[in-house]
Parts: sequence; C-alpha cells; structure tokens
Amino acid sequence: MSYVIEAKGLSHCYSKGTNQQVYAVKDIDFSVEKGELIGIIGHTGSGKSTLISHFNGLLKPSSGQILVNGTDIWKDKETLHNSRFQVGLCFQYPEYQLFEETVFRDIAFGPKNMKLSENEIKERVLRAADYAGVKKEHLDKSPFDLSGGEKRRAAIAGVMAMEPEVIIFDEPAAGLDPKGRKDLIKLIRDYRERTGSAIIIVSHSMEDMASLADRIYVMNGGEIAMQGTVDEVYSQGEKLRSMGLNVPEITEIFASLRAKGIDVPANVYTVEQGTEILKKLMGRCSS
Amino acid sequence: MIGEITFGQYYPGSSVLHRADPRIKLITSFWLIVVIFVCKNFFSLGIIALTAIITSLVSRVPMKMILKSLKPIVIILIFTAILNIFYTQGGATYWEWWKIKVTEKGVNTAIFTMIRIISLVVISSILTYTTTPTALTDGLERVLSPLKVFKIKVHTLAMMMTLALRFIPTLIREIERIMNAQKARGADLETGGILQRAKALVPIFIPLMVSSFRRAYELALAMTCRCYTGGEGRTRMKQMKVSFRDIVLILYCTAATAGIIILNIFFEAVI
Ligand SMILES: Nc1ncnc2c1ncn2[C@@H]1O[C@H](COP(=O)(O)OP(=O)(O)OP(=O)(O)O)[C@@H](O)[C@H]1O
Ligand SMILES: [Mg+2]
Repeated sequence: MSYVIEAKGLSHCYSKGTNQQVYAVKDIDFSVEKGELIGIIGHTGSGKSTLISHFNGLLKPSSGQILVNGTDIWKDKETLHNSRFQVGLCFQYPEYQLFEETVFRDIAFGPKNMKLSENEIKERVLRAADYAGVKKEHLDKSPFDLSGGEKRRAAIAGVMAMEPEVIIFDEPAAGLDPKGRKDLIKLIRDYRERTGSAIIIVSHSMEDMASLADRIYVMNGGEIAMQGTVDEVYSQGEKLRSMGLNVPEITEIFASLRAKGIDVPANVYTVEQGTEILKKLMGRCSS
Repeated sequence: MIGEITFGQYYPGSSVLHRADPRIKLITSFWLIVVIFVCKNFFSLGIIALTAIITSLVSRVPMKMILKSLKPIVIILIFTAILNIFYTQGGATYWEWWKIKVTEKGVNTAIFTMIRIISLVVISSILTYTTTPTALTDGLERVLSPLKVFKIKVHTLAMMMTLALRFIPTLIREIERIMNAQKARGADLETGGILQRAKALVPIFIPLMVSSFRRAYELALAMTCRCYTGGEGRTRMKQMKVSFRDIVLILYCTAATAGIIILNIFFEAVI
C-alpha cells in the first residue's frame, strides 16, 4: 500500500541552541494511506500542532523525514512549494485568516497561488463552497460580514479549493456550539465520501473521533503513545486516563452498567451506538 | 528573527538594581546619560565607562546579554567613527593622501563618540534589563506627573505605553500564526520583486489589522467592565517606596558626576 504522508523518525526542537530548547515532538513514525481518516488525540501541549505543521513543510524537522507520495518534501524548493497544495492544512480558528474583499475571492486565494486558469479557479471555488456548506449568496459578501460559523466554513472552503490529496484539520470544532459541532463533523464525513481524499483530524473530543476515524494516534509528551483502530485504543481506558485523556462518557456509562451486572457490550463509543443498544435492551425487558 | 531583538527586554533577576525603585532608576539613568555629554576629556570619559561597567556587573545581567544589546548599533558606531575621522580636522596629522587627512583631533573625536554611544546604550539597556515594562511605565508616569500642570495626560500616555509593550509579544505570535495559515494556502512570501513582495503582505496585514482591532475593542470593553475611567483617583497595587538602596544609587551617581566635573576642570578638554 502506498502512503500519502509518511513521517520517519521525525523530531522537532523549538529554540534550538538556547537555554529554552524543548523537543516538541520526538522520533515519530506516522503514516496515512490514501483515503484514510486518521485521528490524532493528545493532551494540551503534547505536540499535535507541531507534528501536523511538518506535513506541508511549515516546520522543518530537526531530524527525520517527511515523505509526501514517496518524495521527501525538503528535497528542493519546488517540491516544498508543491507539498502545500498536496497537503491542505486548516489551522485552529481558521476564520482569522480571511482577508479578501469577497468570500469568493478569499476561497480563490489558494487556487490562484497554484496558477490555475480563471475557469478552473471558478469551478473549484464553487465546488469547495458546496463541500464546505458556504451559501451561494454569501460568495459575493465580505467575509467580515459573516457570522462566526459561516466564516469558519468559508475558511475551510479556502483550503478545500486547493483540492489536496490530504486535508488536515486542527481542532476544527473548537469554539462551536453542539449543533455547529455536529454539522461540521457531517461536513467532514460528506467531504470524504464525495472526494475520497485522506483526512487527518486533531481533536480533543474522544466521541467525535470514535464516530469518524479509521485509525487513531495518541500523542503524549511529544511521542506517539498509542496507535490503532478506535477499538484498540479506546479499550485501554486506564492508559488513556494516565495521559490526561478520557474515554467517551457513554463508554463510562456502559462500563458502570456492566459493573452492575447488566449484559451490555464494552465497546460502545458513540451516543448513537449506545441508544441503539439500550433500545434493544429495553425492548427485551418489556416483552 | 523577531525574537532575537534584546534591546528593551527585561532580564529576570534579583540584584540590587532589579529591586531598586523604578522612579529612581529612571532618574539616575537619565542623569548618567546627560553626564555622558558633559565629559570633556578622556579622564572624565573613563569614569563614565567605569560607571557603566560597574553598573552592569552589579545588575548581574550576563555580559553576553549586554553585548547583544550593542549588536543593532554596530553599523551606526562604525559609520559615525568613519565620519568623525575624516571630517574633524585639527592637531597633528597622522596620515595624509591626496585630499584625505587623518588628524589627531579626528581620531580623538571618533574614539570619544564611540565610547559615548556605547555607554549610552549600555546604561539604558541596564535600565530595561532590570526593570519590567510595567514597572518602567509606572515609574515614568510618576516621574512625569508634574507635567499634569501643563494639562498633559500623563496617566493616559503611560497606560498606552504599558498596553503597547504588553501586546508586542502577542502580535508577534499572531503574525506567525497568520503567516503560517497563508503559507498553507500556497502564499509565496519569499520570492519576487519589491512590488510583488509588498503585495504578498496584504493577506497577512489585513487579518492582523482585523484581529488587532478586535483585541483592542475587547480590551477596552474588559477595562470598562472593571470600571476603568482613567487616572483620576486610581490607587496602586504596588506602592513605590524609596529605600536605602535607592539613596545609595543616588549617591553613586553623585560621586560619578563629581568625579567627572573635577576631572573636566583639572585636565585639558579634547573635544
Ligand atoms: N513557537 C514555539 N516556540 C517554542 N515552543 C513552542 C512553540 N510552539 C509550541 N511550542 C511548545 O511545544 C510543545 C507542543 O506544542 P503544540 O502546539 O504542538 O501542542 P498541541 O498538542 O497542539 O497542544 P494544544 O492541544 O493545546 O493545541 C508545547 O510544550 C509548546 O509549549
Ligand atoms: Mg494545537
């Protein structure tokens, strides 16, 4: 299987050579296959943002390699520049990057930097606006006239318009209300279905991750502490807790049900799953 | 790159100078800087240089940091030295070629000016190295408060300065963040001619302005919510008190000044 992104022995040290030097990430091996959805979770300051900033060459590794489609992105300037278009990076609070006069032109910023033709740019902007759920009538408005949630969608569309092979979201739902959060997750899931592109999500929400991710990396103190499928990772509640993380609330509820002697499965990670099981259980009781 | 500027930064410590009253530090620094320009010969200048060295030793700020604060002015130093050597004429001629003449007076002036500038920067950096920005502006407000007589809003100015200093690191971080976000969309900030590079700054400058205004607005709101109404009737959390060490500091400057005046009288002026 070919990897879209592969990190080998990646380390990064901030403020190297001064008395404040810190290794934000240490000796990391990381890989993303085509079309895969990867979740990265970890406590504050565990190095998640530092790690993902390497994937499109915003940070240069202190040691180790980043391969995008098998090529080292630091090989030359050209490769580095192109990696920005192959790997789309959507930062935390992306709405603060908006700057153009209209939403349309802001979404077009990425494609313009790719030196595409006018027609191609227009097509991509409309497509990306559709993926990200930016309303048609908003395209001619100033991005500063939109609401917070609409701004975020516009900013996300700006990254999607480059049509990267991998798109990375750093805390995409930060600061959104529960409904906004839900909508955003649906948006990401739909985007994946429609484009088949690989996705990396950094999140604090264990529950969102459970419903989205194919594979999960858990970071702790700049290292990969655990990796595997949702089941493999979430079944080790003790270990997660020791790293300042937690299993989803619904999983805890089911664990206490099991402790009370009720026969329910242990691998329940989302509310939807939980509701299904409880419904069945209640049905059995009443009949 | 931005993080390397040291001039005007605080260096945490607990030396006598760190603990001294900011008002006294401001006044004595200003005093010494004035005295630098009173020096007329190398003997009195020696005292200033010595004062600068002793003060930096007392401050316990590493020599490396103090030398670092001189780094930005190296070019100015070289430039003024060259100008002085070739433009000031008088006394014995050391070297001559065509119309260019290097004279005793030129060399003396060059060395003199260099030592003056270095002492000036060292003394003012020690002030900022040993005083937190807040203490500094607080002290400045007190020192300048007599200007209230002339209807100058000293408190407002000092508050503006405090806020500006406070937000410099925040803005630097913000710029880095926005630059990264735009680079991730393929913005090219490094290549092209001047015009192209200036244009490439627009995507960084606009979000920066927007967020700065937002911050300013939020800050103003937060200050209003805490009943900030300006300087009238405000009391302070940190009361400033002149203590024994401050008196020593004043005596120290007086001694240096006295020495300089005496040496100015007893020896011939070179400048
Ligand atoms: N520009 C920087 N200079 C110096 N140190 C930094 C810098 N950016 C991050 N760090 C340090 O690197 C470590 C990892 O930071 P990082 O931002 O990658 O964490 P994170 O996992 O994304 O945290 P969060 O969940 O809060 O976003 C932290 O200890 C942080 O203090
Ligand atoms: Mg982060």
